[in-house]
Amino acid sequence: MVPGAFVRVLFPTREKPRQPGLLHIGYMLVVTATEAMVAYTTSQPWPAAVPLPAGARVFSSEEALRLNQSRAFLLRLDVLARLPLTPIWFPDLNRGAPYLNRGANEVIAVAPAPLQAELAKFAINLARRRREVVQMRGP
Amino acid sequence: MKTDTLTRPITHRGTTAGHRQPAKVAITLRLDADRARQLQAIADAENRSLTNYVETALLRELALREEAERVITMYVAPDTSPSIRPEDVIRADGETDEDYAARQALAVELWSIPDNA
Repeated sequence: MVPGAFVRVLFPTREKPRQPGLLHIGYMLVVTATEAMVAYTTSQPWPAAVPLPAGARVFSSEEALRLNQSRAFLLRLDVLARLPLTPIWFPDLNRGAPYLNRGANEVIAVAPAPLQAELAKFAINLARRRREVVQMRGP
Repeated sequence: MKTDTLTRPITHRGTTAGHRQPAKVAITLRLDADRARQLQAIADAENRSLTNYVETALLRELALREEAERVITMYVAPDTSPSIRPEDVIRADGETDEDYAARQALAVELWSIPDNA
């Protein structure tokens, strides 16, 4: 598992937040030897009448194709999960998956360096915003 | 010490079928006299009751709390580390020193966010 990778992950749900949840594609924002910080993605269209969340990055179908994904999707840097790198959470870990084409067994695609930098900056700004709101609120 | 107007009996407003107001709960709030006078002065200046002023301030606090939690929703799986050392962050291919340092700092910050899902 490498940073910047899109991988299949059983992202936890609001109903069962501490258990493996539904199969989604996640973006590996931070990776260590044993854990990862994964951002949620969904290909469900966002309701037109609802403003996009501040942490959402839209990927058009063309961008999605370049990342080996067949549909446009929404990457939510404001919906994160800290998960151990185990097959319980990452079902493709340590095993080849037929849809993969990069020779890296668990990975659907790796974001090019400029996109990784853009997403990291996006997350940094979001974290700063959160810090400001928390400071405004007080301890 | 002063007990403020939050201790007044609740007035039950009339309701119509199908649109019932949620019941309000009376609480007793104890404040030191100086602070109570200060709050009352602000409430008077805004032409509202002290109770209404305090309730509004608390609702604002709740809204900020919810906003803070909404900025980043964090799910934390059991058996994950409560913190991270910057040197544990795996470097991405082709990542510059500057970008790597920024992402290390981001990782430390993200790891400090508690499970709020």
